[in-house]
Amino acid sequence: MNAIVFDHVSKHYGDVLAVDDLSLAIEPGNTVALLGPNGAGKSTSINLLLGLLKPTAGTVAVHSRTPDEAVRAGQMGAMLQNGALIPELSVKELIDLVRRLYPHPLALDEILKLADLTELAGRRANKLSGGQSQRVRFALAIAGAPKILLLDEPTAAMDVESRLRFWASMHDYASGGRTVLFATHYLEEADEHSDRVIVIAKGRLAADGTAAEIKAGAGGHTVSFALGEQPAAGLDRLPGVTAVEVAGGVVTLHTSDTDATLAALYRGTTLDVSGLKLSSADLESAFLALTRES
Amino acid sequence: MLYYAKTEALRMLRNRRYLIFVVAFPVLLYLINSNIYGNQTDAGGVKYSVILMVSMAAYGALASSMMSSAVPWATERQSGWLRQLQITPLPSWAIIVTKLGATMVLVLPSLVLVSLAAVVQQHVSLSLGTWAELLLALWLGVLPFVALGLAIGSVLSADAAQPAAMICMFALAIAGGLWFPPEVLGDTLRTVADVTPSFHYARLGQSIVAGQGLPMTDVLVVAGWAVALGGAAAYLYHRATVRV
Repeated sequence: MNAIVFDHVSKHYGDVLAVDDLSLAIEPGNTVALLGPNGAGKSTSINLLLGLLKPTAGTVAVHSRTPDEAVRAGQMGAMLQNGALIPELSVKELIDLVRRLYPHPLALDEILKLADLTELAGRRANKLSGGQSQRVRFALAIAGAPKILLLDEPTAAMDVESRLRFWASMHDYASGGRTVLFATHYLEEADEHSDRVIVIAKGRLAADGTAAEIKAGAGGHTVSFALGEQPAAGLDRLPGVTAVEVAGGVVTLHTSDTDATLAALYRGTTLDVSGLKLSSADLESAFLALTRES
Repeated sequence: MLYYAKTEALRMLRNRRYLIFVVAFPVLLYLINSNIYGNQTDAGGVKYSVILMVSMAAYGALASSMMSSAVPWATERQSGWLRQLQITPLPSWAIIVTKLGATMVLVLPSLVLVSLAAVVQQHVSLSLGTWAELLLALWLGVLPFVALGLAIGSVLSADAAQPAAMICMFALAIAGGLWFPPEVLGDTLRTVADVTPSFHYARLGQSIVAGQGLPMTDVLVVAGWAVALGGAAAYLYHRATVRV
């Protein structure tokens, strides 16, 4: 049974199509990154999963239930964007308030430890720094021991050190066999902290796989050489080539299979190849290529 | 849910604005006015120290019921705290019912402290039954105002809810004759004041201390307003939290 299923889900806001026929399934126990540029539909997808929004078409299922049922059963925890705290309450009171709303919550001490808040337990929420507030919001998200944890750009307000501590906390929580889905537009985060990366752009699925697979996928490697006055026609038909760019007499071939492309370039064409450069692209250029195409 | 209600009340008690304007202000106003007029009596022979006690307790209850509902609720809706609660197992209706309950609890300090000031400083003495009847009537009678506060908080942003709640509260206080007797308003305004819930709310208290018991008309008008504003609040709350 899948933890999360999107079945041909679309969501319109008036004329704007935020999610466009999105289908995907996530198995329990996985940590999955939802990667995409701003406005790709990441937050909308998370709100659909929580039942805070209803899909215009298609269905969303969480452990075979509707999102509303899963929320009522205490299976979901989430760190949403712009989630404020109650200024007059202390960290401990806030966490205890939320954990008591769940049927089988974690112990208060355990939550404080997981979120690295033990020393801040007595502090009022209006006296916290941005990074500390984010940790409290993480604590609220895990307080009810949800099977599914959703994090919407969780490290947005954090400095480098807070980020490291945050991801350590997230991995601690996920290691208990829980499913984690986090939205991010930071490629390094998706690369380092997930088992699987789902790339969305303009509300559509652009790529789905491990970070390594995505890097190796469409436009993952490039072969470039000086073309000079020679014609570029036919280069796009070489094996493995997904895109061809010509600029200033230099051609760049995006390829999914460098070996096949090179072999065909030497054996199958009569081009004079000079100044050859090969590069194995990072996730960033793969991501740019993917989100540009779709 | 009980813990949620307790936390809600606790946070307001830590709010300085609530403490000063809602709890301390009516007590102070009572002490000042009763020391000037306290020994005079009205046409029915009731001492002003008692009449003022009812007015100020009513004013304090009105102020706390509106100020501790409208603005915090609008802020939570806007800031994302409501969303945080919506993704917990807590049902949607429980959120607003808890707000209502917590606000009702927060009305009590104003009522009790003004009464206490009257007893201690002006030596007001009423029979135990009258005290019970008065406090219960003034407590339950705030329902329309709590509903109005929640309705305002469901529609307006926090910035707009603050002045809106203030204006409604002042208008209701003046119309209800809580600050000065309604007779000074003039005939036209009297007619308007006559239909407000605060006017009848204050009359509940005044009739009880005048030994006339519970006037049924006033009870019915306040109850009617409670139903009407409660319905409006429930509808607007639903509209504010509906998932589309």
